[in-house]
Amino acid sequence: MSTIFFLIQQTMFFTIPLMVVALGGMFSERSGVINIALEGIMIMGGFFSILFINVMQGTLSGQLLLILAIIVATISGAAFSMLHAYAAINMKADQTISGTALNMLAPALSIFMARMIQPSGVQQIQFTNTFRIEKVPVFGDIPVIGEMFFQNTYITTYLGVAILIISAIVLFKTKFGLRLRACGEHPQAADAVGVSVYKMRYSGVAISGMLAGIGGLIFVVTTSTNFNANVAGYGFLALAVLIFGQWNPYRIAGAALFFGFMKTISATYSSIPLLYNLPITGYFYKMIPYIATLIVLVFSSKKSQSPKAAGIPYDQGAR
Amino acid sequence: MKKVLLLVLVFSLVLSMFAGCGLGKSGYELALVTDLGTIDDKSFNQGSWEGLKKYADEHKKTYQYYQPGEGTNAAYLEAIDLAVKGGAKVIVTPGFLFEVPIYEAQKKYPEVMFVLVDGEPHTEDYATYHTEKNVQPILYAEEEAGFMAGYAAVKDGFTKLGFQGGMAVPAVIRYGHGFAQGADVAAKEMGLAEGSISLMYNYSGDFAASPESQARAAGWYKAGTEVIFACGGAVGNSVMAAAEAAGGKFVIGVDVDQYAESETVISSAMKMLGNSVYQALEAYYNKKWEGGTTWVLNATNDGVGLAMDNAKWRTFSAEDYNTLLKAVQDKAFTINNKSDIGVTDLGLTYVNITEVTD
Repeated sequence: MSTIFFLIQQTMFFTIPLMVVALGGMFSERSGVINIALEGIMIMGGFFSILFINVMQGTLSGQLLLILAIIVATISGAAFSMLHAYAAINMKADQTISGTALNMLAPALSIFMARMIQPSGVQQIQFTNTFRIEKVPVFGDIPVIGEMFFQNTYITTYLGVAILIISAIVLFKTKFGLRLRACGEHPQAADAVGVSVYKMRYSGVAISGMLAGIGGLIFVVTTSTNFNANVAGYGFLALAVLIFGQWNPYRIAGAALFFGFMKTISATYSSIPLLYNLPITGYFYKMIPYIATLIVLVFSSKKSQSPKAAGIPYDQGAR
Repeated sequence: MKKVLLLVLVFSLVLSMFAGCGLGKSGYELALVTDLGTIDDKSFNQGSWEGLKKYADEHKKTYQYYQPGEGTNAAYLEAIDLAVKGGAKVIVTPGFLFEVPIYEAQKKYPEVMFVLVDGEPHTEDYATYHTEKNVQPILYAEEEAGFMAGYAAVKDGFTKLGFQGGMAVPAVIRYGHGFAQGADVAAKEMGLAEGSISLMYNYSGDFAASPESQARAAGWYKAGTEVIFACGGAVGNSVMAAAEAAGGKFVIGVDVDQYAESETVISSAMKMLGNSVYQALEAYYNKKWEGGTTWVLNATNDGVGLAMDNAKWRTFSAEDYNTLLKAVQDKAFTINNKSDIGVTDLGLTYVNITEVTD
C-alpha cells in the first residue's frame, strides 16, 4: 500500500509542472499564437524566482517565501513571453522562429545573469528547500486519501489543481474565454463583432508566460537543490501534453497525469519488486507516453481540436 | 554611409577593449585560464588555482589568472594567447574542456609549458590524441576514490547502498566500479555474510537535474537504500533533493567536497586538484618536467581521497580513514579499473548488485 502512496506522491512531482505549463500553452494557442517558447519561459521563471529565494532565504522561509517566489515567477514569465508576443503579434513574425529564439536565449541569458549577479560568479543558484510539507494539518490524517495527497507534498500541488479549475472556468464560462477562443478559431469574425484580436492574443501569450514561469519554479524546487539554467526539456514535453490533451483543460490534466505516472514508473520501477521482476526493461516504460501520443495523433488528427487560426499572424485585411 | 561609420566605430571600440587587456604589466610567470567557472567556483578552477597560488607564494613567483570571454574553444585559445603575452611560462588549464584548445596551443607555443588537469589533448572529433613535450596532462585514478567511499560507507554501518552515475563515461564508470569493490572488501573484512550488502546501480545518461533522477533516488531511498554515491554533476543535486525529502538518508558527493550543497552530504570522493597542480609546478621548476606523458594520480601521490574535514560519518573516524588511505597507497587491495566491463562482471560476492538499465 505504501508503495502506491509513494507512486502517487512522486507522480505529482512530474504531473503538476507539466500540467501547469501545458495549460499555459493552451491559453496561448487558443488565442491563435503558437508558443513553443514554453521551455525558455520556464527557464526564465525558474531563474528569477530561484534567485529571489536565494537572496531572501536569510530573512524568510517556508510557504511565505515560496508564495512570493511564485509571484516573481509569474511576473518574470509574463515579461519574457512579451518578447514572443511582440514578435508574433505586432511584427507578424513566424511564431516557430521567435519561439525557438526565446528557447535558445533563455539558458544563455540566465547563465550570464547568474554569473554577473552572484558574487561567487557561478552559474548555479543554490537554494535551501524549506517548502516541503510533511503532512497537511487535518487533511493529512484522513486515512488513504490523506496519505496519497496530503503528505510529502508542496503547496504548488494544490496551486496546480486550482490553476486547472480556474483555467477551465475562464476558458469555457467567461466572456473573456469565449473571445479568446474566437480569436484562435476565426480572428476576422471576432474582429468584425468588435473584439480586439491583438489584445486577446497578448492576453493569451501573457497567461502562457505566467503559467510557464510558475511551472519552471515548481520544476526546480521539487527536483533539485539548485537552479542550473535547465528544465530538462519539460517545456517541450508540455507541448506534447498539450497536443495529447487536445487543447482542452481536463484532457490536458488527464494527459499530464498519464505522462507523469508513466515517467514515475520508468524512473522508480527498480524499487518496486513487482515491476522489477517483470520481464520488461525500463526502456519500455519510458517509451509508452510517446507511443501513446503518436497513436492518439494517428486517430485524432482528422478531427483535431487544434485552434484553426493558431500560428497564423492576424491580418485585418485578409478575407 | 552612416552604417559604415557606425561599423567602424563599433570595431574600434572592440579593438580598444582588447588592446587594454593585452598590454599592461609584463611578466606573470604562472597563469591559470579558467574554464566556464571562476577561480572561486568551489570546483575545478578553485582547486587548481589554490594549488598554483600555494606554489607561487612559497616560491615567490608572479601569478595571474585569465578568464575567457565565453565557453568556446576559440575563446579559450584567446585567453591562452593573452596569458602568453602576459609573460606566462607555465599555464594551468583545469578541466576536460581544455583538451581541444590545448591540442592547438601546444604547437602554437612550443616554449610555453601547459598543465592540463583531468584531460589529455586531442582533436575535436576525438580521432587523434597527441601530447607534445610541453604539456603535462593529469588524469586521476577515480576507482581508488570510489573504492574509499564504498569502503567507508560499509565500515560506517551502511548495508544498503546506491550508485547514481551520470553519463557512462570512463571516469564515472571507474568511480562506480571502485565504489562497489570498496564495499565488497569492507564487508569481507567485517565478516559479514556473502550478499549482505545491496547496491542499486544506475547511469542516468546525462549530467542534468531531472524529475527522473529525483524519483529514481526517492524510490531507492523508499525501498531501503541508506546512502547513494551521486556521481554525475547536477544529477547529484536531484539525489540530494530526494535525500532531503526522505529524511535520515545520505549522499556521497564527488570530485570536490560537496558538503555545502546539502545537509545530506556525508562525505565526498575527491580529486585533489590543488595537490596535483602543485606537483606539476614543482616538477617543472626542479627540472623534472615529464611533459608528453600523462600522469595518472592516485592515492599514493595524493591525487585522490575522501573529504573528511566536513564529513558526517557516524563511526568512521579520521583515524580509520588514515588506515584506509595507507592501505590503498600500499596497494593492499587490487582494484579493477577497467571501464569497458559491466559492474556485474567484477565478480563481487559480498555485494549484491541490482543494475538498473534505463
